[in-house]
Amino acid sequence: MGKITDSLSRRLANWARVNSPWISVFNTGSCNACDIEVIATLMPRFDVERFGILAKGSPRHADILIVTGPVTMKQESRLKRIWEQMPEPKYVIAMGACGASGGVFQGLYHVVGGVESVIPVDVFVAGCPPRPDEIINAVVACLKLMKEDLAQGGREWRQKPVQSPMPGTTTREPGEVPA
Amino acid sequence: MTGLLGLEEVKSALERFGTVEQVRSNRIKVKTIPEKIHEALFRAQTLLACDHLIQISALDNGQSFELIYHLTGPHGTVIAIAIELPRDRPEMPTTSDILPPAGIYERQIYDLLGIVFTGHPNLKRIILSEDWPENEFPLRKDWKPRPKTPYGGVRQEER
Amino acid sequence: MPEVVLPIGPQHPALKEPVNFKVIVDGETIVGLELDVSYTHRGIEKAAEQRDFIRVIPLLERVCGICSHAHAQAFCTGIEEIMHLEVPPRAQYLRTIVAELERMHSHILWLGVAAHVVGFNTLFMWTWRDRETTQDILEEMTGNRMNYGMNEVGGVRRDLKPGQISSILSRLPKLEEQIGKYVGMVRGEETMLLRFRGIGKLSKAEALKYGTVGPTARASGVDYDIRRDDPSIAYAEVPWKVVTDTSGDVYGRTLVRIGELQESLGIIRYCLEHLPEGKIGIPAPKVAPRGEILSRYEAPRGELVHFIRTNDTDRVERLDIRTPTLANWTSVTVSLVNQNIADIPVIVAAIDPCLSCTSRITILSERGRRTAEMTWAQLVDHGQRFYRKWGRS
Repeated sequence: MGKITDSLSRRLANWARVNSPWISVFNTGSCNACDIEVIATLMPRFDVERFGILAKGSPRHADILIVTGPVTMKQESRLKRIWEQMPEPKYVIAMGACGASGGVFQGLYHVVGGVESVIPVDVFVAGCPPRPDEIINAVVACLKLMKEDLAQGGREWRQKPVQSPMPGTTTREPGEVPA
Repeated sequence: MTGLLGLEEVKSALERFGTVEQVRSNRIKVKTIPEKIHEALFRAQTLLACDHLIQISALDNGQSFELIYHLTGPHGTVIAIAIELPRDRPEMPTTSDILPPAGIYERQIYDLLGIVFTGHPNLKRIILSEDWPENEFPLRKDWKPRPKTPYGGVRQEER
Repeated sequence: MPEVVLPIGPQHPALKEPVNFKVIVDGETIVGLELDVSYTHRGIEKAAEQRDFIRVIPLLERVCGICSHAHAQAFCTGIEEIMHLEVPPRAQYLRTIVAELERMHSHILWLGVAAHVVGFNTLFMWTWRDRETTQDILEEMTGNRMNYGMNEVGGVRRDLKPGQISSILSRLPKLEEQIGKYVGMVRGEETMLLRFRGIGKLSKAEALKYGTVGPTARASGVDYDIRRDDPSIAYAEVPWKVVTDTSGDVYGRTLVRIGELQESLGIIRYCLEHLPEGKIGIPAPKVAPRGEILSRYEAPRGELVHFIRTNDTDRVERLDIRTPTLANWTSVTVSLVNQNIADIPVIVAAIDPCLSCTSRITILSERGRRTAEMTWAQLVDHGQRFYRKWGRS
């Protein structure tokens, strides 16, 4: 776990993080279907607690923040604050269509947009709401990212190099009318 | 549950406030003016045994604001008492003294449409964010959100 | 007093919604209450004016994920009445089945959350495990576990095959047996009785005066149920009973909800066994004539009201939604006065707040005493510790 040159305590901490991630759920104005599916994931049918995933109330104890809902104007500043309270290494899973872009509420007057407009997101889960199986899938994908981050010593490996446009084409913003 | 109220019964109680008509088998609509609404509601509660306020529907029909008080009781008939408020002065006295649930409903209507309920004990923001600007009432027909955003979520070219 | 050993599980968020309590107290008792409902306001009513009758249904289903069919159904009933559409009986029966399944899943969910709030996590786990049966049935019928896109103006979108009907009917007896066990648990379990009995009392006069609806009102003896008073879909043809109670406290509300669970099971069974043949929908016109209607529906939490006005276009001119939780909030302020802080979570949870309608309670006293700010989780914790100590003395 991590580089072999890391100290024993660091490797132990990394092993604990990947094998028992603690999650915290934050609702930024969702219809609650996503929140209930997260709780259903902790219930006997799907039971992720046997994998060591614990749902903690406070973000200060969490490794992964699961954000549900299209971010409403009221929750925008609070979401940012919650994210800043989380200790590194922290990961964010944006749930559902609302988390990706605002979902069915995109563009409404009290809604800011998807979670990415407020905090950086690591994993998006599709669905409205995503099934508990898909949530488990998302957490596993997040853990893979976590492992890779620990092996590479940071997140820089995730940045894609900026693609230069092919000759003969122009770049255009969405919604812009081409000249 | 007692039987449905007949049109005649409602007319005899509320006719002096305005027009009374039966819109459906269990819906009766009364049109009145803001000055008489208090007494009309009181009479509906006492004479027609209406003990449940269902909703205060508020809307902006372009020319004026309409408020419709829906009441019902053990008889099962919904009595809708409607008034109109002028657009330039949307004010009216609160009804939360005779109808306690109206306290919350009136605050919501004030927040979204800007209708001022005079005499309300606590007319503050309830449903919009605290940093929402003053005097911006989203549900008014002439209110548009920040530009270049289709607020219905329907793509521009489809309209 | 004998000590009851509860298997206290790990700390669950248990519907962690944006809730914040500001408590100003006189010792341990509360004196007043304030309210702020803006965390989940998204502007749906304005958006509904921009969408035609096909596109507005997915928006309305997501006003609340737990009672999504209720919103879609209230809207469809209203528009169908304005358009004078005669919906085929098979569609009405299918809608009733989905509506009652939704009521069951919501009440079982509530029972689990109420048990969790008092620290009885075993019941939390058991109820949510049984809830999965209803979710499975809904998924087979509609394709999704929540936010089922079953309704459209004019009927339903999916049909039931005969094999599905028998498969659903075969799963109902086990669910019935489990619900029977909950009745026994609620009646006999020392913790639940201690935390629920006599808490948050609301008399019949108060319930009527403050406009309470749903199981909260029925537990105080108010005999209003829209399924009987203003029936839509198939409720007028199916034999069922309204469940009321006279105690008016949290315990009464628990009993009412469990009674409704049993009634809902009966309704589902009847509808499945007597499902009429025929079409599942009729094509609806694109444009609605000028009209106005107040569409009422008995959502799991109470009376849901959609006021719709149309103006001869393919969209509504005004949609005004009054959710049952908003109607019940005033009763919370009333029933919290002179209660312990330790009972706040139970009393608030007892009205079954649909969280996407409500958010924060600020509790004030007339005399302006020392304030403390607590989150929902802290309040639940405080309540459990308080009663554990109380039970031991």
